[in-house]
This record gives sequence, C-alpha cells and structure tokens, in this order.
Amino acid sequence: MPDMWDDDQLLALLQDAMRESREVPPSFTEAGRNAFAWRGIDAELAQLTYDSELDQAAAAGVRAEAASIRALTFTSPHLTIELEVGENALLGQLVPTGEGTIEVLTQAGVTALIPVDEVGCFPVSPIPASPFRLRCRSAAGPSVMTGWITL
Amino acid sequence: MRDDPAVISLVTRARDGDQAAWNEIVDRYASLVWAICRRYQLNRSDTDDVAQTVWLLLVEQLGRLRQPAALPGWIATTTARECLRVLRTASRHDHAELPADGQLSPGQSTPLTEQEILAAELNAAVRAAFFQLPERCRELLSLLISDPPMSYEQISDKLSVKIGSIGPQRARCLDRMRRSPALAAFTEPERAQIRGGWDA
Repeated sequence: MPDMWDDDQLLALLQDAMRESREVPPSFTEAGRNAFAWRGIDAELAQLTYDSELDQAAAAGVRAEAASIRALTFTSPHLTIELEVGENALLGQLVPTGEGTIEVLTQAGVTALIPVDEVGCFPVSPIPASPFRLRCRSAAGPSVMTGWITL
Repeated sequence: MRDDPAVISLVTRARDGDQAAWNEIVDRYASLVWAICRRYQLNRSDTDDVAQTVWLLLVEQLGRLRQPAALPGWIATTTARECLRVLRTASRHDHAELPADGQLSPGQSTPLTEQEILAAELNAAVRAAFFQLPERCRELLSLLISDPPMSYEQISDKLSVKIGSIGPQRARCLDRMRRSPALAAFTEPERAQIRGGWDA
C-alpha cells in the first residue's frame, strides 16, 4: 500500500500513466462511446445459466477437447433459449416451443432475422464474429434477450 | 472511504441518459481496459471484443451499481475476466488457428494478480487526478514529464515563468494531485471493501 508518494514517485507514476493512455487508438475509445446506444433496450433479460465450456473448465485438469460441442443455456422467467455451437452455425431451441422470430444483434444493430420453426428450432449461420446477443420475439409473450455472447 | 465525487456524478448522469457523461467514463477508463488486454497479450481484434463486452455490460449495469465510486475496480475485474474467457476459448480451438509466432504461450491465461489489476487501476486514477488539476498545473507537469526531458530553463522559457518558481510550483501541483479524491482510494486502507461491494 503506497501510503503516500513523494514528488518524484508521483511524477514517475504520472509519466507511466500518460504513456499508457497515449497507446490507446482513438477508434477504440470511439467504439466504447457508441455502446451507450444500447441503454434501455426493452426486453426481458435471459441470463446465462449454463455454459458447457465453463463447466469443463471447472473440472480440474480436464482440458476441453476441440471436438466437444459447446452448449449454452439462457434463462428468463418466460423462456429458455438453448444454443449448440456447431462448426459453422449455431443451433437454437426455444423452451417452451413456439414460433417467433430471432434477431441477431451486434453493436452495429440487428444484423439478421431468423424465423423459428413450429418445434422451436432456429439456425444462426454464419456464427457472428463479434459479440452478439439474440432477441426472441413471439406473439405468445414478451420479447426476451440474451446477455452478450462471445464465441 | 472517501469516494471520488466525480465518478459518482458521472455514473449518476449516465444512468439518467446523459451521453456526455458516458463519453467521459469511456474516455477515462478506455486505457484501463486497453492496458489489461495488453497484459494478457490479446491481439487487437480480441481486445476490441473484450472492450465491447465490458462497455455493453456496464451500460446494462449502470442502474444497478451500488457503489458508483468503485467503478474502476468493476471495470478492471470485468475486463480481466473477459480476457481470460477469450484466451480459454482460443486455446480450445484448432491449433492451426493460433498465430504462427506462438502468441499464445503457456501460462498466459494465468489470471492477473490483484496487484497487477490494481496497478492498472492506479494508472487510471492518476490520469483522472491529473485532469482535475488547474490548467497551469497540467501544463507544468506535462513539460516536466516530457520525453526527452526538458530543463528548467526550457520550461521557464516555454511557460514564461521564473526558473526559481518552477520548483515550488511543481511541489504545489503535485501536492494538489496527491490529495485528489481520485487517488484517495489508493491511499486508504478500506479499499478492499469497495471492491467486495461491487463484486457481490
């Protein structure tokens, strides 16, 4: 715990801190400013309640195999969204089943609209390269949106 | 614990929809996120992804932050957690996808120590303290840390002040900076509690 820095120490700290901030590209800061557009999106939030990867990582010494299929589950009070991560696509399943529309959202906004079939299945292809979230709209209930997903 | 009133005010205003306040939060802490990603040696694209996740989470959490003053701690720990997740995911994928220069060496996904994260937070706090100084102090201190270093004589010319007054002004400005609320969290023992309050 630095109780108090003397003048030279404080000046050296300042020098380091300013050097560090000069390394940050303006585009990086700009992207962060733009994130504010996401404020107050109106949808029920589905929390990540299961992630096979984290589950495996938790088992000490067990290294996840490249071949294993990653599975994620997002749960909200009205809806569960299950995702399986395939080679080139995500396979989604709504529980309870029901038709609707899935929106793929990235920081750029809605990038895809995907119909959900009568048994609650939907494919997401290609897999978004940047962090994304899914919003499910159906006639049956409120919109439900997952947290941010990075694959 | 003396909270930094500037941070509390920024969070409160951003929570109420003030884009300018949000921009200031990002401007203040973007280099904190950047520095932590650098320490994990993430490439630019992964760094962008981590930052995006951190900012978007923060936008969502603004209304729920119980201790706005502990914001830098939250940003630092959230960034570190996201970096680890990106590295774990990369190590699962086909090794052919890894950069040929072996960017992902073993041990790299070791979590940063609490001390390293605090060091990154300290840098952010030092910058915040600096920007709260009067312009005259900022000018002087900037010249004092310029690279290559400037002599008192050069500084005296540049600022049109007597050489003899540079020393005392330097001391006054640094003292003012040292007492800045932005740095208070680093000079008081209750710091550990703030972080706990946010993680809960």
